[in-house]
Amino acid sequence: MSTPYLRIRNLTKRYGHFTALDDVSIDIVKGELICFLGPSGCGKTTLLRAISGLDIQTHGTVEQDGRDISALPPAKRDFGIVFQSYALFQNLTVARNIAYGLENRKQPRAVIQQRVKELLELIGLPDSGNKYPSQLSGGQQQRVALARALAVSPGLLLLDEPLSALDAKVRIHLRDEIKALQRRLGLTTIMITHDQEEAIGMADRIVVMSNGKIEQVGTPFEIYHQPASLFVAEFIGAMNLLPATLVQQGEIQLGQARLTCPVDGFATGTTVRAAVRPEDVVCTGRTNGHANSFEAEVQELEFMGPYFWLSLGGGALGEHRLRAQLPRQQARELDLRLREFTHLHIPAEHIRLFPDGYRHG
Amino acid sequence: MADTLAIVLPRVRPRLGRDEWLMGGSLLVLALYLTVTLLIPLVVMLSKSLEDRHGVFVGLSNFVRYFGNPSLTAAIGNSLWVSALATLIVVTLAFGYAYALTRSCIPFKGFFRLLAMVPLLAPSLLSAIALIYLFGNQGALKSWLFGASIYGPIGIVMGSVFWTFPHALIILITALSTADARLYEASESLGASAWRTFTTVTLPGARYGLISATFVTFTLVITDFGVPKVVGGQFNMLATDIYKQVVGQQNFQMGAVVSLILLLPALLAFFVERWAQSKQTSALSSRAVPYQPKPHATRDLALLGLVSLVGILILGILGMAAFASLAKLWPYNLTLTLHHYDFSTADGGSWASYFNSIRMAFYTAVFGSVVVFAGAYLVEKSRVAKALRTATHMLALIPMAVPGMVLGLAYIFFFNAPGNPLQFLYGSMAILVLVSIAHFYTVSHLTALTALKQLDPEFESVSASLRTPFYRTLWRVTTPMCLPAILDIAIYFFINAMTTVSAVVFLYSPATTLASVAVLNMDDAGDTAAAAAMAMLIVVTAGGVRLLHAWLSHWLHQRTQAWRQR
Repeated sequence: MSTPYLRIRNLTKRYGHFTALDDVSIDIVKGELICFLGPSGCGKTTLLRAISGLDIQTHGTVEQDGRDISALPPAKRDFGIVFQSYALFQNLTVARNIAYGLENRKQPRAVIQQRVKELLELIGLPDSGNKYPSQLSGGQQQRVALARALAVSPGLLLLDEPLSALDAKVRIHLRDEIKALQRRLGLTTIMITHDQEEAIGMADRIVVMSNGKIEQVGTPFEIYHQPASLFVAEFIGAMNLLPATLVQQGEIQLGQARLTCPVDGFATGTTVRAAVRPEDVVCTGRTNGHANSFEAEVQELEFMGPYFWLSLGGGALGEHRLRAQLPRQQARELDLRLREFTHLHIPAEHIRLFPDGYRHG
Repeated sequence: MADTLAIVLPRVRPRLGRDEWLMGGSLLVLALYLTVTLLIPLVVMLSKSLEDRHGVFVGLSNFVRYFGNPSLTAAIGNSLWVSALATLIVVTLAFGYAYALTRSCIPFKGFFRLLAMVPLLAPSLLSAIALIYLFGNQGALKSWLFGASIYGPIGIVMGSVFWTFPHALIILITALSTADARLYEASESLGASAWRTFTTVTLPGARYGLISATFVTFTLVITDFGVPKVVGGQFNMLATDIYKQVVGQQNFQMGAVVSLILLLPALLAFFVERWAQSKQTSALSSRAVPYQPKPHATRDLALLGLVSLVGILILGILGMAAFASLAKLWPYNLTLTLHHYDFSTADGGSWASYFNSIRMAFYTAVFGSVVVFAGAYLVEKSRVAKALRTATHMLALIPMAVPGMVLGLAYIFFFNAPGNPLQFLYGSMAILVLVSIAHFYTVSHLTALTALKQLDPEFESVSASLRTPFYRTLWRVTTPMCLPAILDIAIYFFINAMTTVSAVVFLYSPATTLASVAVLNMDDAGDTAAAAAMAMLIVVTAGGVRLLHAWLSHWLHQRTQAWRQR
């Protein structure tokens, strides 16, 4: 990995006795789009506000492009920011909003006008310069806010849940647009969101946070396929988390079924949680030609369009319930029916074990 | 591991940029200003309650004497129940009136809004004078009281309701006009009845305004002395007791004791208001859609009835005063004459007092609105010195709890003290302006805060990220967006400075006599018709300024508030 553009070390933020951010360290590479993802209250906003200087941390350092900015006020830092509420200046036209940061830099009017024109084109609103923000739709307003932040060519772009206030279609459209824009400009960007789809769809890397701490940093692929903790496994995507016992190294017992799987650092006899994604459960109907197979009853069958949701129980599973996602084509071939038994196969590499947490079910 | 690290790592000391220094510095100047024009005089004044006539410390003996005198302590109960009753009536009426103006489709809204503001144009003495002409011993409608006397609690409640009504109304209109249409659309689409929408959306949205209006009204009534002075008869109130002690008996120490007692209910109200404010959140985010009421025949008709009734009462009081000032010799010779407007023969005032009042009100409006808006901005929006902001806000709320006379008295003690470098202000126009700004600071401050709270809290963050100095955003965005509120504050200062009696009654000099004080003095001297005439002169002047303000607001709305329309 190249030298980090943003180096965050041991960031802690306390409000009285409450620790909002607990010893967080991350490196962010130049040009990447990184998402801080987590439920509300996980500390992602606090982290963003510390990076921007809007709410300076209690302990720890932030370096941007080799410069220690830990204690600097926002105006002495180099970032642009976009908020969920857009925060557009409603008494100024779209063009004046975009020009706002430029006008302070004593540039000739013609240069500013040229830059505003470019930006209006960049965000696909070339004719809206003379409108007031309230005359635009939410998605358009957010694009203006983005243009206003980009106008001064900041080294770092901070997006504070920029899409959360928009409707689904606009959101997906703008998501792709922001991503394309970010790639084109090669602008280091931090986005905070509580929407995992958004994070997975946009980010180069995701920082999953909970309770003021980082749970995992990784590419969307890593976060999805190799969750580092039970929290991440549960939080990202759909996941079966089944109680199992490690009967010997490399083998667990799940209900009556014995399954082989990679084991990392658990002692034989330990109770663990076996994490399996629904789409990694393979249904083989009446055929049983695989290792790591067992039989269970189809207890629910839900048509979802491109695939079926299966809920499996009984048989080797006993009391446990397993959710599986079955492509429509395959479901038709197997001719699965409710209350019928089917063979199931879980490839060993798709089973991950976690220490047994407190949460069950 | 985290704990050990946190102990080892040094605490980050945020460095201050130019913005932060400027904001912090301005805050400090503001806090000092309020300390000098408000806090120190009050502290000096209250210390007098612990001294005897010769300035010797006597501990609580003044209080012992006060509480040993039932004729004095009766005023406590009197003040409390009269103020509570007046407040209940005012807030109920004002809420209905504000609701009609903001959430219904009644006709002539502009007219009714202006009409309701009429009592603001008059000194509180005017309603009391009119009540005497209506219900007094020679009153036109004396029989309507079924033998009860207007002199006493009935008169005080009626007079207080008249002059405090617009104060409550302003707050409630502000609270009700910031509705987010989306909440109403949501409620309607969920099938909620109009009543349920009212109780689950409207009332909670206006809750802060209601509490604030109650707080303001109660304190205004309990600290007013104009109405009880004129129409109170033998019914003792705390505020008139202070006046009697100070002016009547020259007993400043006992005046200070009664002031302290009068502070208690005001302080309670103060803390209730603080609590209410902590619950207040930004009502109008930048995404909010302004609410536009739709016609509803029954509701609109009922509300039109209410505003008409209130309007008639207001016009009745005002009309009575106007007629009294024009009638040659009430009630014997009702020929109309302008004779009472020639104050040359009147005892206690002249046209010079009138022009002094105009100058004083103008300076108060200009300097007052600048100081108040800048102050509210610093308290609400600056990122620095949280403790100083809280302290400044506290200081700004104090005047609400301080009766005007107490403040005036405090100014005497502080500014006239030997050795005070500010003594040169004593007897000048400047001290009248200073005391008026201080006296009317709180409502203006709260109005400015309410307007500022409606702006997106991230404007300042965005501005900082664009490395634009805060004062530029203050000038180009915050101030234009708050201009209607700033104009409201300026007019509030002007009219109150024009009409106030209590704060300035101890501070005017022969060179700076004022119209409102002239009303009091002429009434005291028995020249009630001339007093009514001077009061009407104040009403007409304040009304003219008010019309100017209305026209200016309208023009502003057309020009700069285009963004408010959907």
